[in-house]
Amino acid sequence: MPPALSIKGLSKRYGDGTLALEDLDLEIPAGSFFGLLGPNGAGKTTLIGAVCNLIRVTGGEISVFGQPGTGMAARRMIGIAEQEPNLDKFLTVYETLLYHGGYYGMRGAEAAERAEQMIDAFDLRAKRDVEAPKLSGGMRRRLLLARALLHRPRLVILDEPTAGVDLELRHELWRYIRGLHEQGTTILLTTHYLEEAEALCDEIALISRGRIVARDTAEGLKRSHGVDTLEEVYLRTVAGGRIAMDQLEEVE
Amino acid sequence: MLKLWKQTILAPVISSLLFMIVFGLSLGDSIAEIGGFEYRIFIVPGLIAMAMAQSAYSNNSSTIFQARNDRYLDDIIAAPMSARQVHLGYLAGGAMRSLIIGIVLTALALPLTGAPLERPLELLLAVLLTITGFGALGIIVGIYAQSWDNQSFINNIVILPLIFLGGVFYSVGRLGSPWEQISHLNPLFYVVEAMRYGFLGAADVSPWLSLGVVGAITIALVAWAQLLFSTGHRLKP
Ligand SMILES: Nc1ncnc2c1ncn2[C@@H]1O[C@H](COP(=O)(O)OP(=O)(O)O)[C@@H](O)[C@H]1O
Ligand SMILES: [Mg+2]
Repeated sequence: MPPALSIKGLSKRYGDGTLALEDLDLEIPAGSFFGLLGPNGAGKTTLIGAVCNLIRVTGGEISVFGQPGTGMAARRMIGIAEQEPNLDKFLTVYETLLYHGGYYGMRGAEAAERAEQMIDAFDLRAKRDVEAPKLSGGMRRRLLLARALLHRPRLVILDEPTAGVDLELRHELWRYIRGLHEQGTTILLTTHYLEEAEALCDEIALISRGRIVARDTAEGLKRSHGVDTLEEVYLRTVAGGRIAMDQLEEVE
Repeated sequence: MLKLWKQTILAPVISSLLFMIVFGLSLGDSIAEIGGFEYRIFIVPGLIAMAMAQSAYSNNSSTIFQARNDRYLDDIIAAPMSARQVHLGYLAGGAMRSLIIGIVLTALALPLTGAPLERPLELLLAVLLTITGFGALGIIVGIYAQSWDNQSFINNIVILPLIFLGGVFYSVGRLGSPWEQISHLNPLFYVVEAMRYGFLGAADVSPWLSLGVVGAITIALVAWAQLLFSTGHRLKP
C-alpha cells in the first residue's frame, strides 16, 4: 500500500520572505498514528497547509495514498481540523456539517444523514440548531472535528487540536481520535504537548525551523539520545539553545 | 438557505420602492415625459438595475471577505472542488438574491407605475449580464479587501454615483455637450440603458451597443475573478 502521505523536497517561503519549510522530506505510512512535534513557528501549520491546498508552495512534491497532492482524489481523502476554529458564524452546527458534505460532493440526503450521525457522535445534539458564535470553546472544537471527519477521510490531520483545551475535553478528544485510528484511519497530529504525543502516537517526527530533525518511535528517540524522557529529546533537538520558559511550562 | 433575508432582500426592495414612490409618484406629475414615457415609468428600469447590481456586488464582496477573514474559506479551498467550481458557486449564490430582488421589484413596480415589459428576452440578457458582472466585481473586491470599509467604499464611492450618473433619474441624451459624451464613458450608463430597453423597448442608445458593452465588461470581470481563484492570489498565503 502506498504511504498515506509522502512529501519530497517541500519548501515554502512566504511573501514577506520567511522561509517556513526548507527542502523537507516526510513519509507517513498508511494506518499510522503520526505525531509532528515542534515549538511554535517550527513550520507545522505551514506543512499542513501545503498538504491541504491552503497555501501556495514554493517547491516540492506531495502525494496522498499515491495520488498527486494537487488533484481532487487526494483532497477527497484528507480531513483537516485547523488549529484555530474557522467556522461560518451565520451557520448552525447542522448547516456547517451539511455544507461541508456538499463541498465534498455528497448528495443532499446523504449529507443530511451523515451530519446527523456526526452530531450524535460528537455529542452536539442539544446544539444542533445553534450558530457557531453561541457554542462553547469545547463544542467548537468538537464541531471542527466532526466537520473534518464527515466525508470519511482516510487521512485525518489535526493541527494542535488540544492547544488551550481543558483536561476533560482533551481526554474526550483523545478518545474520539483513538477510536478513529482503531478503525484504520491514518492520523497526523501536531502538538507541542510531549505527553500527548507519547501517549497517542506510534511514531514521532520532530520539526524545527522548517526541517525534520528526528523521526522514530518515542522509545527509539529516547534510546538514540540516551535519555529517559521525550522531554529531554525535545530539548536537545528542536529547542536547541533557546529553551523558552513557556515551553517548559507547557510540558508540565 | 436565505439567511439574513431582511438585510439582503427586504431592505433593498423597500428602498427601491421608496425611490419609485417618492420620485416617481410624487414628483412625476410635475416633470414632463421623457422619451415618450411618464417620469414614474421612466425611472423604474434604472432603479431595478441599481438594486440588482448593488445586491449582486455587495452579497459577493461581503460573503468572500467574511470567509477570508474568519478563514472558513479554507473549508472550501481544501475541498475537492476546482477553482472554476468554487467561482461558479459564489457567482450563483450572489445571483440568486439579486434575482429575487429583481423579480419582487418587477412584480410590484409594474402594477404600481404602469411600466411595460416590452422586450423580455433582451431584458433577461441584460439582467444575467448585469448580475454576473457585478457578482464578479464583488468577488474581486472581496478578495482584495483588507477591511470591511474597503468594500462599502467601492459601493458608495464608485458604484452608486456612477449608476446615478448613468441616467437612472434622467435621460443622458438631454444633458447636451459635453456631459452627454462624458456620460457615454460611464460603463454603468450601458447597464441602465440595457435594462431600460428591456422594459420600455426604447433607450438613448441601441440595445446592441449597451448589451455589447455590458457583455464585454462582464467577461473581463469574470476572467479576472477566475484568475484570482485559479492562482490562489490573496486567497492563499
Ligand atoms: N501567512 C504567513 N505569512 C508570513 N509568515 C508566516 C505565515 N504563516 C506562518 N508564517 C511564519 O512561518 C513560520 C512557521 O509558522 P507555522 O507553520 O505557523 O509554525 P507552527 O505551526 O509550527 O507554529 C513562522 O516563522 C511563522 O511566523
Ligand atoms: Mg501551528
